Amino acid sequence: MAEEQNKKPCRFWIWASASVVFRLILISFPGNLNLSSRPEVSTPLTSIRRLAEGYWLKQASMSPYAGSMYHGSPLLLSVLGPLTVQRIKGQPSHLLCSLVFVIADILSAMLLRGIGQKLQMAYGLNARLLGFLKSSRDKVILPCGDIAALVYLWNPFTIVSCVGLSTSPIETLAVILALFGAVTRRVPLAAFGFVMATHLSLYPATLAIPMIILLGYGLDAPPIKLFLQTRSVENEKSSTSTVTKQAKSKQTTHLPFLWKTVMHFLFWVLLWSLYVLVLCALSLNKYGGVEEMFKRTYGFILSIEDLSPNIGVFWYFFAEVFDFFRNFFLIVFHVNVLFMLLPLAIRLKHRPCFLAFVYLAISSILKSYPSVGDSALYLSLCALFVNELVDMKFSFFLFCGYLGISLLSPVMHNLWIWRGTGNANFYFGNAIGYACFQIVFVVESVSAMLNHDRALRRSSSNHGEVNS
Amino acid sequence: MASEKRDKEEEEVKTDDGSPKIKPRPIVQLGIFLVAHSPVFSVVFSAAGVLALLILPLLAKNTYISENALMPGSARSMLSNRDVSDGSKLVKDIKNYWLNHEGQGVEVQKLIGKYMSDMGAEVYYQKFHPEGNQFHPLHFFSGPDSYTLLDNVSCASYGVNVAGIIRAPRGDGKESIVLVTPYDFINGGDYEALSLGITSTLFSLLARVTWLSKDIIWLVTDSRYGDYRPVAAWLTEYHSPSFKVSDLLKCGELNTADTFRRAGTVAAALVLKVDGRSERFEDTLSIYAEASNGQMPNLDLINVVNYLAVHRQGFYVKVEKVVSLLSSSWLKIIGEIFEAVGKLARTLNPDWNFGIPAADYLEGSATLASSLYSQALGIPTGPHGAFRDYQVDAITLKISPRFPPDSKTRQHDFFLRGARLLEGTIRSVNNLLEKFHQSFFLYLLTSPSKFISVGVYMIAFALLVAPLPMVAASLYIEGCKALTKSTDNPTENLKSWKWLDAAKQVFALHLLGFIVTLLPYFICQVPGQHSPRNRSIMWGTTSSSLLLITFAIIPGCSPFSSRHHGTNWAVLKSVTISAAFIGLCLMSIINFATAEIGALLLVPTCLMAQPIKPALRSRRIKSLLGAFCSMVLLTIGFPVMFFAISKGLFGEAVVGLSLGGEFWTWLESLWAWKSATYLYIGMVHLPCWLLCLCILFHPS
Repeated sequence: MAEEQNKKPCRFWIWASASVVFRLILISFPGNLNLSSRPEVSTPLTSIRRLAEGYWLKQASMSPYAGSMYHGSPLLLSVLGPLTVQRIKGQPSHLLCSLVFVIADILSAMLLRGIGQKLQMAYGLNARLLGFLKSSRDKVILPCGDIAALVYLWNPFTIVSCVGLSTSPIETLAVILALFGAVTRRVPLAAFGFVMATHLSLYPATLAIPMIILLGYGLDAPPIKLFLQTRSVENEKSSTSTVTKQAKSKQTTHLPFLWKTVMHFLFWVLLWSLYVLVLCALSLNKYGGVEEMFKRTYGFILSIEDLSPNIGVFWYFFAEVFDFFRNFFLIVFHVNVLFMLLPLAIRLKHRPCFLAFVYLAISSILKSYPSVGDSALYLSLCALFVNELVDMKFSFFLFCGYLGISLLSPVMHNLWIWRGTGNANFYFGNAIGYACFQIVFVVESVSAMLNHDRALRRSSSNHGEVNS
Repeated sequence: MASEKRDKEEEEVKTDDGSPKIKPRPIVQLGIFLVAHSPVFSVVFSAAGVLALLILPLLAKNTYISENALMPGSARSMLSNRDVSDGSKLVKDIKNYWLNHEGQGVEVQKLIGKYMSDMGAEVYYQKFHPEGNQFHPLHFFSGPDSYTLLDNVSCASYGVNVAGIIRAPRGDGKESIVLVTPYDFINGGDYEALSLGITSTLFSLLARVTWLSKDIIWLVTDSRYGDYRPVAAWLTEYHSPSFKVSDLLKCGELNTADTFRRAGTVAAALVLKVDGRSERFEDTLSIYAEASNGQMPNLDLINVVNYLAVHRQGFYVKVEKVVSLLSSSWLKIIGEIFEAVGKLARTLNPDWNFGIPAADYLEGSATLASSLYSQALGIPTGPHGAFRDYQVDAITLKISPRFPPDSKTRQHDFFLRGARLLEGTIRSVNNLLEKFHQSFFLYLLTSPSKFISVGVYMIAFALLVAPLPMVAASLYIEGCKALTKSTDNPTENLKSWKWLDAAKQVFALHLLGFIVTLLPYFICQVPGQHSPRNRSIMWGTTSSSLLLITFAIIPGCSPFSSRHHGTNWAVLKSVTISAAFIGLCLMSIINFATAEIGALLLVPTCLMAQPIKPALRSRRIKSLLGAFCSMVLLTIGFPVMFFAISKGLFGEAVVGLSLGGEFWTWLESLWAWKSATYLYIGMVHLPCWLLCLCILFHPS
């Protein structure tokens, strides 16, 4: 057992470095894969070609947002822009950018591993508290951090969006950084990640709810009722039994909400957003300032101006909709995301990290410009809960569905755009299929999580009966 | 949501302590029913799939012209005797030239060019290099503009195309129609000269008409280097001009630098060939439409040509058919059965008139088989294939006159009718405001005037592959149960992730298939001259050693591993079947015909595959028979074996090592034409076949 424990990290590092080498090999293929022009990989928001264009415009002292080419953050422009023009002789263009994305991927994987280790510890602790892990040998806790990091690194979606020169690895990094900060209770870091993620792609703003719960109540745990139940049973059984100090401190029916940390977090969010805004204003002061930025980035995301095909479902609908209904449907479509926030938050408030995963998955379905990078993020977050989701239904069906859809998508695109024998419905049909599979995936994972909680409750009550 | 949750809870209750039964929803019930009786249903569905394929000729509909703007045959032909005499003069001049000269240089091209410019066209010459099709593995996945110009070309062999453009008096120069006539400028040929005659007759007319709104390009290609390559070279130059000065321009006396002219997007293209003598009483017109990877031109184009040829000019129109099928007795019997059933149905209800005579059925199936075959091969059937890569609808018309080539008297009439046919077609296309989009792109032809649309032929395929997901689901459930039983500690196994081990194995073999698919590229890079036979041997040994390495490295992958390592065969088979299903469905969208033929092979193989050891142990007739069937199917399913068998069916028996050479040559032609069939064989068929082999020898 101990040997295996030693072996595991070694194997983890081998696989992780293998994934990096694999990426580097793919990067060195000059232009043969043509991934950066695929609609699945790069959206109008994340395409590095558009970023290079924006940088060029800015160098020519024009607004980077002129001509509706670039729609990303001005900060990203200042960081990645200089790298897009620098070329090393004999090497493919944008090599430096690719290296930045590879580094972002590695960092995300490491942070995911950190989150996973914390979650794993919490899982073990909770299981012991509830009395399932008496002998510590009867059930192996999977190293969910390692699994999640490897799932992230070897997910074809991640690899494709890293090699395909889209900025989504950086957005992913910001989101994972925010979660990491919240899990390890480094409040300024969490606030920074949150502000950056929101600044880069807007949709992570929904993460505010899980992060506040996470900071206020602590890590994922089974419902509080269970602990009370277990404890009462144990107290009845023998008053002299060794109840841990921690358990003694939690005699109340409610967990204490740490207002102080949350206020701390909000303060830091305010600070960081001010900082980011000032930086943006400085970098754009000649070209319309922050107002222009809001209009061209968030406005572009919310009003769905670009109707070029992508793997989402919005472009087709808004290409068809009559102009005078457009505003109405914009509201309807965007409210869809907000609509689900509150019920889910109430139901899953004891599992804030899982809640964050569900939010990210939902926003990836209902995003205006989704790419496979978003799926890569939520799929790897899902792997963090591998202990809880062991009983997930339809896993094989979903796997086949994802595989089939992601292979079908380029074929349909080819049929429509290159061969001209298909039409837009072909590609849109594929997008609908993708959305359906994502929905099934979210529904199944949430129900598996709730079933897991139910199973805990049942077994803990059985446990109590046996003991008494 | 709420009801679903309740359902699940109820289900849970039922499974846990056997409380009263609660009916699941009807669709779930149906699913459970299908999965539970999957053996019966898979037999029924597969049989129905094969039957549906056989009755496809019955379901063929008559073609109709879908785009109203085409209006074929509504205008009176304006072709006059003067035009015909122009054409005849060109043919005479060319014939005279051949009498006096031996073919070298570009004299004939210049002669044709002079005729074109006399008619008022802009003329230019284009030089091209004959070698173009180079296999590169990654170009499969990129767009059509991946054609790379060769850097160092020699002047030893190059071809010269002639092209003339008539500017349309009513057009804005943004659209054009292309006429192609391949002609061998070195060896000549009496029949080919006739095609030049027809086109120059037409060209002479088009140069003076007022109704043209699309420019006309007449391209005379140098068919010394095949029909396809010159057209492809011209199209590449037309669509993606290279700004690098090629060495080719300096070759020969003809200076072609900076003379290339264009005329807007190509709306349609017609390739005209005159070939051989017709065996029938009338002049025969054969239509060839299949482009690369089973792509077809818009059906409207074929309809227009067919309508004009049959109803206006009295040609006998035909499309390719598999001649050997016409005399096959079993197909005849099937045709007669269908005829009888049709008659019976009509006596029951006069509205049911789907029956067709057995002879028609035979013709239809022979044509359908040919259509399927050439689509599945993925190799274009003529120079029109080059146009399809640029989304241009094009067909090849091969006219066989009923007179010998030197009969002067018949020639006039022949030119008149041929040119009228082309005139009518061009006039129809000229009417178009948009590119062809009204009619079908996805269809199979059973005769020049009958087609089967995608909605019909997909049913046959869907029925054929429908058993796969059902059997996969039932095997998955079965395998999971077995796995749960076999492991001692119920908490330790990952309940719903048990398929991961099997998936690893399937993935490893698919990766192997991918590598084997790319291997020929590297084998071609090996220095030195090798015969196809040696190359195929190289390929075979490398692939099999790779296979052995895979088996050695990944435990549990090999069929010969111990029982402890091996995964449960039911789960493995379930994952294999799912992989085959995904692969076949993908292929059906890329190239239907390949998927259909592939499914006919792969579906029974995958369904029948089961471990042979328990069958031998049990010694029951039924299981022995099953094992025997699966072994036979696996033998047939091996690509080389299937190739040999199909060769044998066509009467060219090859055995031994020469078979390897033949197979290599065949594959080489597939990848040179960028046929997706090659990818299918390497990345779907071969891995699934190997997995079935693993299941067959599974130590369970």
